[in-house]
Amino acid sequence: MEFKDYYQILGVDKSATADGIKKAYRKLARQYHPDISKEADAAQRMAEINEANAVLSDAEKRAAYDTVGAQAWARGARSGDDVRPPPGWNAGYEFSDSGPENFRANFSDGNGGHFSEFFEQMFGRAQAGEGTRARARRAYSDQGDAQPRMRGEDQHARIELELIDACRGAERQISLRGAKLDANGHVVPEERTLQVKIPPGVKEGQLIRLAGQGGPGYNGGPAGDLLLEVQIRPDPRWRVDGRDVIQRLRVAPWEAALGASVEIATPDGKAVEVTVPSGSGAGRKLRLKGRGIPSSNTPGDLYLELEIAVPGAVTPEQNTAWEALSGAYPGFDPRRV
Amino acid sequence: MSPTTPTLVPAELVELLDDAALTLHELAQGCSVTPEWVHVHVEAGVLIPARGSQAAEWRFAIATLTRARRIAELEYTYDADPQLAALATDLMEEVAQLRRQLVLLGG
Repeated sequence: MEFKDYYQILGVDKSATADGIKKAYRKLARQYHPDISKEADAAQRMAEINEANAVLSDAEKRAAYDTVGAQAWARGARSGDDVRPPPGWNAGYEFSDSGPENFRANFSDGNGGHFSEFFEQMFGRAQAGEGTRARARRAYSDQGDAQPRMRGEDQHARIELELIDACRGAERQISLRGAKLDANGHVVPEERTLQVKIPPGVKEGQLIRLAGQGGPGYNGGPAGDLLLEVQIRPDPRWRVDGRDVIQRLRVAPWEAALGASVEIATPDGKAVEVTVPSGSGAGRKLRLKGRGIPSSNTPGDLYLELEIAVPGAVTPEQNTAWEALSGAYPGFDPRRV
Repeated sequence: MSPTTPTLVPAELVELLDDAALTLHELAQGCSVTPEWVHVHVEAGVLIPARGSQAAEWRFAIATLTRARRIAELEYTYDADPQLAALATDLMEEVAQLRRQLVLLGG
């Protein structure tokens, strides 16, 4: 288990005040926000920053963390591998959610809402309590009532697909770091790999719900769902706009001028013959209705954007051919508006 | 942790979420917020249902889930006023849209 130096992650001294930690966290959150940051590892850094803040911004968690770190150092620990929480280290601590009343911090952490193995070992979720669920459970417990069955939380993750897989569907393995309840009802870290058949016809930003694959339920309640957000991998051959696909089609000058029948590959990998009308110019769009990303409702269209590929004049014969072509259009001036 | 054997997710548990699919409670659950938070933000005009005039009838687009999560995150991280969090979210969405348009223009 790797020891996490949360102070170093937030760039603060161990004596930092709560206000200092908050300021450091907000500054880093702005720098590494995955929706804005251009840093290559923004999502991973955001996950680390969120985890560090979850501990250091909570007085009880911070005290427990400092205790473990100090004791381990006194025992001669000099690296992460030397650090182990001692038995009963958390006696007397009752962790509660450090967030506001009505939500919990699990955003933008790049890990579908879960923290590192180190965090889970130290603060384990069922014992730590989580916001409204924990308060509800304690309220029932305080009243002497049986704790309610509660649904586990939904989790979020992103999946990147090639365009052809978004069209045709694909089998994918998804690795997730999460948590499960052991026989004693304690939350322990868990790494899961799911084999999922992605349905055909998914577009950018679409969500796929995997029922029951989210966080574990409490006290026998059902598990939450896993929500996968689809991202289509950028490709220089085409651009995607909703379910429409725009693809470049290179044609020879004589094909554009005289018309031609050309074979192309559609986004779902099929070969089709396309007629290039005579007199076509560069930039002309040919629409293939329903050949974009499929859908049970309204499939997208495929737009072929013509690009004239001009061969060079290399051999004497080619030079002669181009000069003859020029001579056949004595009044042609492409720069005249 | 050692690699685990993949768990096959049965096809009947895999669902493509279409637009205007989420109820108030589903949206709240997806964002880890309370239904009251969603209600307050709809009343404030920060979140807009795709259809429905009353809370029980509200149905939200999938894009609203992403928007709501973003707003909740900004409120939590920066103690932000909901309207300010919504303003920042509006700007982030516009930047994302402009980037998509740039790609479509071949940029």
